Amino acid sequence: MVRPKALSKKQQKKGIDFKKIKRKVGRKLPPPKNATNTEIKSKAIVLPEQSVASDRVGLAVNKKGLTLKELLQQTSHHNPKVRRDALMGIKDLFLKHPDELRLHMYAVVEKLRERIGDDDKLVREALYQLFKSVIFPSCKEGNQGPFVSLMMAYIFNAMTHLAVDVRLMAFRFLGLVVLHYPPTFLLYAEKILQNYEEILCKHQLFAQDRSKLKTALAGLMCCLSLLPCNDQEDNASEKKTTGKRLLHGFEQDVYASSSGWNTLGLEKLKGLVPVLINCLREILSVVNSLPSLEFQSFDCMLTILQSIDLAVKFFIATIDKSESDLQTTLGGATLATLDQGVASVILKRLCVLFPLNPAHHASQKDSDRYFALNVMIADIFLSCSEWISPPDDMSERFLEFVEVMLLGKISDSAKTEATVSNKHLLLPFIPKLLAQVPNNWKSRLLQAFTRAFRECNHQSSLKLAFLSIIEEIVIPGQNRIHLDVSDPELLDHQIAWVRELPALLIMLGEKHQSVTQVVLRLILRLGQSASSRPTLQGEYDNIQYPLQDFFCKCQDESSVSYGPFIRLSQDCQELAVSCLYYFSHLDSALLKAIATCYLCNDLEPSVLFRTIEVLDSAYAAGHIWISDIISFFITLLSRFKVSPDNALPVKEVEPKISNCGTLRLLTSVVCSCLLHIGDESMVLQMIEKVIIDQMKLKPSRDNACALLRLLVTLDSKPTRLSEQTIDGLASFLALYLIDICSVVIPHISEEDDEAAVAFLDRMTHYYVLPCLFLFDRSQRLLKLVLNEMESLISGRTSLSCLKNGSHGTDHSTSVIAIVYVLQLMHKDFKIRQIQSSFKAEIECILRSLQALVESSTTLEERHKLQCAYHRVHRMLGNLQERTPCLL
Amino acid sequence: MEVVIASSSVADAGIGCWDLHTGAEQLRLKSCASTARGLTSVGHRFVASSQLRDPSATSGSVFYWSWDRPQVEVKSFPAEPILPLAANSEGTYIAGGSVSGEIYLWEVPTGKLLRKWHAHYRAITCLVFSDDDSLVISGSEDGSVRVWSLFMIFDDMRRQEATHLYEHSFTGHALRITDVVIGYGGSNAIIVSASEDRTCKVWSLSKGILLRNIVFPSMIYAIALDPGEHVFYAGSRDGKIYVAALNAESSSNDAYGMYIIGSLADHSKAVTCLTYSNSLNLLVSGSDDGMVRVLDPKSGNVMRMFRHSKGPINNVQIVRKQLGFNPRMVVNPQGSSRRHGSLLPPPLEKYTNSSDDDSDFRTVVSLHGTSYEPLESPHISSNAMNQQIEELQRQSSSYATEMELERLKVDSKRSMQMVEKWKQMYENLHQFCVDELLDIDQVQPTKAGFT
Repeated sequence: MVRPKALSKKQQKKGIDFKKIKRKVGRKLPPPKNATNTEIKSKAIVLPEQSVASDRVGLAVNKKGLTLKELLQQTSHHNPKVRRDALMGIKDLFLKHPDELRLHMYAVVEKLRERIGDDDKLVREALYQLFKSVIFPSCKEGNQGPFVSLMMAYIFNAMTHLAVDVRLMAFRFLGLVVLHYPPTFLLYAEKILQNYEEILCKHQLFAQDRSKLKTALAGLMCCLSLLPCNDQEDNASEKKTTGKRLLHGFEQDVYASSSGWNTLGLEKLKGLVPVLINCLREILSVVNSLPSLEFQSFDCMLTILQSIDLAVKFFIATIDKSESDLQTTLGGATLATLDQGVASVILKRLCVLFPLNPAHHASQKDSDRYFALNVMIADIFLSCSEWISPPDDMSERFLEFVEVMLLGKISDSAKTEATVSNKHLLLPFIPKLLAQVPNNWKSRLLQAFTRAFRECNHQSSLKLAFLSIIEEIVIPGQNRIHLDVSDPELLDHQIAWVRELPALLIMLGEKHQSVTQVVLRLILRLGQSASSRPTLQGEYDNIQYPLQDFFCKCQDESSVSYGPFIRLSQDCQELAVSCLYYFSHLDSALLKAIATCYLCNDLEPSVLFRTIEVLDSAYAAGHIWISDIISFFITLLSRFKVSPDNALPVKEVEPKISNCGTLRLLTSVVCSCLLHIGDESMVLQMIEKVIIDQMKLKPSRDNACALLRLLVTLDSKPTRLSEQTIDGLASFLALYLIDICSVVIPHISEEDDEAAVAFLDRMTHYYVLPCLFLFDRSQRLLKLVLNEMESLISGRTSLSCLKNGSHGTDHSTSVIAIVYVLQLMHKDFKIRQIQSSFKAEIECILRSLQALVESSTTLEERHKLQCAYHRVHRMLGNLQERTPCLL
Repeated sequence: MEVVIASSSVADAGIGCWDLHTGAEQLRLKSCASTARGLTSVGHRFVASSQLRDPSATSGSVFYWSWDRPQVEVKSFPAEPILPLAANSEGTYIAGGSVSGEIYLWEVPTGKLLRKWHAHYRAITCLVFSDDDSLVISGSEDGSVRVWSLFMIFDDMRRQEATHLYEHSFTGHALRITDVVIGYGGSNAIIVSASEDRTCKVWSLSKGILLRNIVFPSMIYAIALDPGEHVFYAGSRDGKIYVAALNAESSSNDAYGMYIIGSLADHSKAVTCLTYSNSLNLLVSGSDDGMVRVLDPKSGNVMRMFRHSKGPINNVQIVRKQLGFNPRMVVNPQGSSRRHGSLLPPPLEKYTNSSDDDSDFRTVVSLHGTSYEPLESPHISSNAMNQQIEELQRQSSSYATEMELERLKVDSKRSMQMVEKWKQMYENLHQFCVDELLDIDQVQPTKAGFT
C-alpha cells in the first residue's frame, strides 16, 4: 500500500537532478563553438588487417570461417539445418587442422555425443559420418577407453528412444564403436545383448524394410565375432611375439579378455539365440510366399545364421574351457542349463528347417543362395552335434548334405566361387565326423573326401584347406580328435592321399610356392611321425621315387631337365631337403637326381651346403649306405663345373664372380664330412679306386685339385695308398703340374704388380699343395713323377694329352713348365730334402734338356731352353752342395 | 670340489674326470661308450651312463660307476636301447629315452621301473629335468620338443581323462633336436631347443608359445645357458661357439645373423656338448676332436684343455663331488648289490612290475640326507619299509617276543658289563686311597694317629 507513494517521490527527485531539455524532433543541434574538425582526408586508406577477422588470427577455422567453439555451439541449435551444417563444418575443420581434434578430443566428444539421439535423420547421418571418417581413424593410437565410455551412455540412451529410426541409428553407432575399439563389447556385453534382444523381438518393425533389420544385425555380427572362441588366435599371437626384441618384457593385455564377461552376459546370449531363430523363421515364412528369394532377405537370413553360429561356437568354447579348467568360472549348474535350453531350441526350431528348399522353381541364383544358407545351418548343426544329441534321421540328412557338397553334385554351379568358399566352412568338421559317425558313413565320407581332394584344382585355396585336414587326420595326436589309426579303410585312404603328394608337388611347379611350401611341410610332418606305423613309413619311403622328378627329370648326359626344385624359394628348398632326412633308406637314384641338381650352377651355394649337412646326419642316423654317400660326394667334386671354364682366376676379384670359391669351400666341407663318416683308412680304401677312375677321365684343373685334396685329407704319413694307385697317380700328377704351371707362367712374366704376383703365388700354391703332400708321404711317387717328366722332355711320351687345357702348348713351353715345377718343389723345404735323394733322376732330366737344347731349331727357342737348362743345373748344384750339411 | 666329467662314443676312452679348479685329472672310469646326452651324475653320488648298442640289439644297457673304482659296478639292461639319460637333482629318479620314442622312469634306490610312456614318434635325443624336478622336457628325432609334468604322469585319473599326456608339444623344428635346456624361473621359465635344421628356438613354458627363432650359420649340436639368461651359448658343427642374445641387446647388422652377438673360440671340429659352471663362471665344451676345453665366456679365452680321447666326445658334465664322502646306503636285502659287495643301488628293472600295489611307489624318497650324516639316517625306500612292517605283522607275537627277548638279553649283558666296570672302578679307587694313606704314613709317621 505504501509503495506507490515512495515511487512517485523518487520520480520527482529525478526531475530535479537532470533537467530536461526540450528539443524539437528532426532538428540538429548546432555544433559547439569550441569543436575541433576531426575530418581526415586522404587519397587512399591502408589497413594493416581487417577488423572483423582480427580476433581470429591463429585460430583454426573452417571454410566458412567459424571456429571450433562456434561450431560446437551451433550443434545444439534448434534448427536441424544449422545443426547439420555445424557437423559438416566440424568435419571440414578437422580435416584441415588435425591438431585441433587431438587437443580438444574430450570436449568435442562430450558435446557431440548429445547428438546421437538427435531427432533429425540427416543430423544423425552427418554425425555418423563425422565419427566414422574423421574422429575414430585419427585417435587410433590414443587411449580410447575413457572417450568411448563417454559415448556409450548416450548410445544406450538412444537405443531406448521411442523413435525406431533413432534406435537403429544407435545400433549403427554401437557397431562403429565396437569396430574401432573392440573391448567395448566385452565391457558392456550384457547391456548390449539386452538391447539387441529387445529390438529383434519387434518383428513388425522389420516386416516392411529388411534393410533396417540388416542394419541392426550387422552390428550384432560385429560384436559376436569378438567372442573369444577362435583357435586360430594362438597362431597369430605366436607370429607376433616371435619378432619381439626382449623375451621377458612387460606385456599389455590388448584384450580385456573375458574378465568383463560374466555369467549374466552368457545368460543374455542364450536368450538371444531363440530370438534370432524366431526372426529367421519369420523371414522364411514371408520368403516362402514370394516367388523368389530377394537379396535383402537372403542377406538378413545369412547374417542371422552367422550370428547364431558365432554364439554357438562361443558356447562350445566356454564348455571346453570349463572342462579343461578344474575350477570353472561359471558354476556347473549354469552350464547344465545352458546345454538344455539352447540346445533344444536349436534342435527343434532351427535344425528341423534343414534343408531349406525354394518353394517354387528356383533360378540359378536362388539355389545358390539356398545352398549358402544350408551350409550355414549345417555348420551350426555340426559344431554342436554332440551337444544336442540329434535324432538319427536328422544326422543322416546332414551327413548326406556333407557328402553331396564334397562331391560337388549340388548343382551345375559347383565351380562357382560361392560354393568353393562354402566348402571351406564344412571341411574342418571332417576329422570330427570321421571319428564319430558309424562305419558305413565313415567310408562314404572318406570316399567323397578323397575324390574331392583329387578333383580339387591345385591352385585354389581350397586345396590348402584339404591339405590341412589331411594333416590333421594323418598325423595323430595333434588335437582332441582320436581316430582309430588301425582302421584298414582309413589307412587305405591315407595312403591314397600320401601318394597324391609328390605328383602335386611336381604339378605345382615353381609358380605356387605358398602351396608347395604347405605340401612340403605336410610331407615333412609325415616323415617325422610315420615311423611308429610301418605301412605309412613304407608309403613315405616310396615317395622318394616320384620325388626324383621334383629334383631333376631325366638324367641323360645330353639332356638334363631340372625339376621345380631349383627354382623354388630358399625356404621351400630347405623344407624339401629336410624331408630327405626321414626316408628310412635314401635311394641312390634319388641321390643321383639331387647331385645332378646341384651340378647346375643356378643353385645358391648355401642350399648345397645345407643339403650336405642334412645328408651327412642322415648317414649318421643310418639312412644312407656308405657307398652311396661317398659316390654322391665324389660326383659333386668331380663334376662341379667351375666357370669361367678351365681358366685360372688370375685377378683377385674374379673368385667372387666365378664359383671357384664355392668349389673350394665344397672341398673342405666334403673333406670334413668324409673324415668322420668312418674309419679313415677304410674310407680311403673305398674312394681310392673311384678317384683314380675319375682322374683317368681327365677332369678339369679345379676338380682334379679337389679330388687330390680329398685324397690327401684321408691319407696319412707314410701313405696308405696302394702301389697301383700311386702308379696311376704318377702320370696324372705330372701332367696336372705341367698344366698348372703352363697356365701360370705367362701371367707371371706379364705381371709387374706385386700384389698380383703374390696372389698368383697363392693360387699356384693352392693347386700344388696336395701334390707336395703326396710326394712327402710317398717318395716313390715323386720318383715316378720325375721319371715321367724326363720322358716327356725327351719326347718319348707325347704331350698331346695336355691339349685338354685351353692353352695349347708346344713342346718348349711345356718343357719350361716342367722346369718351373721343379723349381716350385725345390722351394719347399721338405720336398727339397726328398729331392736330394733323387739327384739321379734330376740329372737325367738335365741330360734330356741338354739334348733338347742342341736339337732346337730357332734361336729364340734355343735361348729359352738354355735358360731353363741353367736353372736346373743351378738347382742340382744347390742340392749337391746342401746334401752333406743335411746329412 | 667341482669336477668335469666327459665321455665319448669310443669305449676305451672311458669317462674322464678333471678337477675344474686345479685341472688335475682324477680317476678315469673305464669302458664307457656313451650315447649322446647319455651321461649323468645321480645326485652327485655316482655316475650313470647309457651305452651305445649296435642297431640290432634288442635291449639297452645302463652302467653305474662309483667315484672311487674305475670298473663298472652295476649293469642294467632295459628293454630297449636307451639314448639320453637324465637324473633329477636329488638323484632319486632316472629318466631314459629310448630309440622307439618311449620315456622310462626309474626309481634309483630300488631300481624299480615306475612308469614308461610313449612320448615321441621317433627316437628321443635329449631329456632334461626342470629346476624343481617336476617337469621332464624331451626332444626327439622327429623335431618336436615336449614338456611332461610328473604330476600328470603319476596321476592315473587325469591320465585316463586327458587327451594327451604332455603339457606342451612344440613342433617348430624341421629336423632332429640336438639339445634342450630349460632356464630358471619355475613355471615362467624359457626353454631353448637346438636342432639340426640350423635353428635354435626359444619357447615360453608358461604360455606354450614360440618366443624367438634364431637361425645359425651351421647346425647346432649343443647349448648352454648363461646363468643370468642374458645370452646362451650354442656349439655348432663348424667348430664355433656362437653367443646368441636372449635378453641382451643385439644389433641387427651382425656378421652371423639376427640375435647372434658373436662367437667364441674356434675348435676346428664340431662342438658336441656344452655345459656352464655357475660357481666359476666358466663354459666347458666337448668337441669332436676329443678335447675338453674350459673357456672364459667373457673373453673367449681357453683357460684349460683336457685331452680325453681320439674319438669324439659326446658328453660333458659338471659334478660337485663331496670330498671324503663314501656313498653309504643300506643295501636292499634282495638287491644284487650285496653280491657284488658294492655300495651302489641295484640295477634298473626291465619291466614295470604290475603285481606290486601301485599306490606306494609315488613316495618321493629323499636321499640327500645321506650325504651329510652318512651314518645316521640310512635310506630305506617306502617299499622296503613296507616289507619289514608286513613281516613284523605276519610273524606277529612269537617274532615280537623273540625280538623282545633279544633286546632284554642285550640289556642284561650291558648291565652286567656296567656292573663289572663299576666294580673295577671301585677297586681302583680303593687301591688308590690305600696307597695314598700308606704314603702319608711313611712321610709323616707322627701324624698317623690323626687319621
